[in-house]
Amino acid sequence: MLSTLARASAKPSSPLTQSLRPSFVRTAVPKSTRIAAFHATQRQQILPPLPQTIEGTANDPTPVPTPEPVHGSYHWSFERIVSAGLIPLTIAPFAAGSLNPVTDSILCALLVIHSHIGFESCIVDYFPVKRIPLARKVAMWALRIGTLTLGVALYSFETNDVGITEAVTRIWHA
Amino acid sequence: MASQRVFQLGLQRAAAPSFAKLQPAGRMVQRRLAATQSVNSAEGHEILAKQRLQRPVSPHLTIYKPQITWTASSFNRITGVALSGSLYLFGFAYLAAPTLGWHLETPSLVAAVASWPVAVKIAAKATVALPFFFHSLNGFRHLAWDLGIGFTNKVVIQTGWTVVGLTVATTLYYTLLG
Repeated sequence: MLSTLARASAKPSSPLTQSLRPSFVRTAVPKSTRIAAFHATQRQQILPPLPQTIEGTANDPTPVPTPEPVHGSYHWSFERIVSAGLIPLTIAPFAAGSLNPVTDSILCALLVIHSHIGFESCIVDYFPVKRIPLARKVAMWALRIGTLTLGVALYSFETNDVGITEAVTRIWHA
Repeated sequence: MASQRVFQLGLQRAAAPSFAKLQPAGRMVQRRLAATQSVNSAEGHEILAKQRLQRPVSPHLTIYKPQITWTASSFNRITGVALSGSLYLFGFAYLAAPTLGWHLETPSLVAAVASWPVAVKIAAKATVALPFFFHSLNGFRHLAWDLGIGFTNKVVIQTGWTVVGLTVATTLYYTLLG
């Protein structure tokens, strides 16, 4: 009766019919074919897997770094404090026109730290040590040198020029 | 699977023996004949390495439906990199300017920008303002999430579109009027 019902209501190949049938009547579609049906698009992978190397024995647990608040929670909180500190310093020039030299320098310092942390997380995300160790090292050192250079440049700009908020205001209304 | 089922049936029978429902155990038991062979550790590693290559790899981003949740997040990073990248490049150029004979002091920049046609000025302002306002406004969302606020899917979608709307409004205002 069940099979009659299934035959009348659905196509014989539909998943419903398949599940209503007793297991010995189900069509023997190979598993690979059933999975392949879901993959209608071209197979595109961001990064194909490298040749696999097994370090240690086959069943070693994943190495877990020792918990270190300086690299963990303190670092996380520091990032957020810097980001939150940028909020008033970003809104103030819109309200007041520009910032005084001291506040402007604080804004510069926070921007340098915020940018450095941002670029650092991009490098960590896109240059995995396991895949491209040399590029990772080069990128990190380039970032460190770049951030220091930017610090020097902004110090020079703050001391010799009008400060970034005033400069942006003037250029914006040029 | 089969052994688990047999175990469960056994438990059921032990808990409530009923001869009417009694099924012969042989009905549920499957016999699987498998040959095993021992391999040395080098061969084992080779098999494992080959097997690991069969593991699934994340597919390309284009298979995902574009949604405000993740597109806003990627746009946050893209705008951040663009803004900070411009700041870094300006810093490098400012330091190199005396050596290369460029003029990047504020008065020279103001004079240069003042000489541009209006359309170019508007385009340049919009190019700077859009990433700046998006990244700044989206920053509020990220800080709120870090405090555990607004973390449901519905609120994330709502605040996402709010940020998009506010970005467009502030960008238009500061590009055309401010």
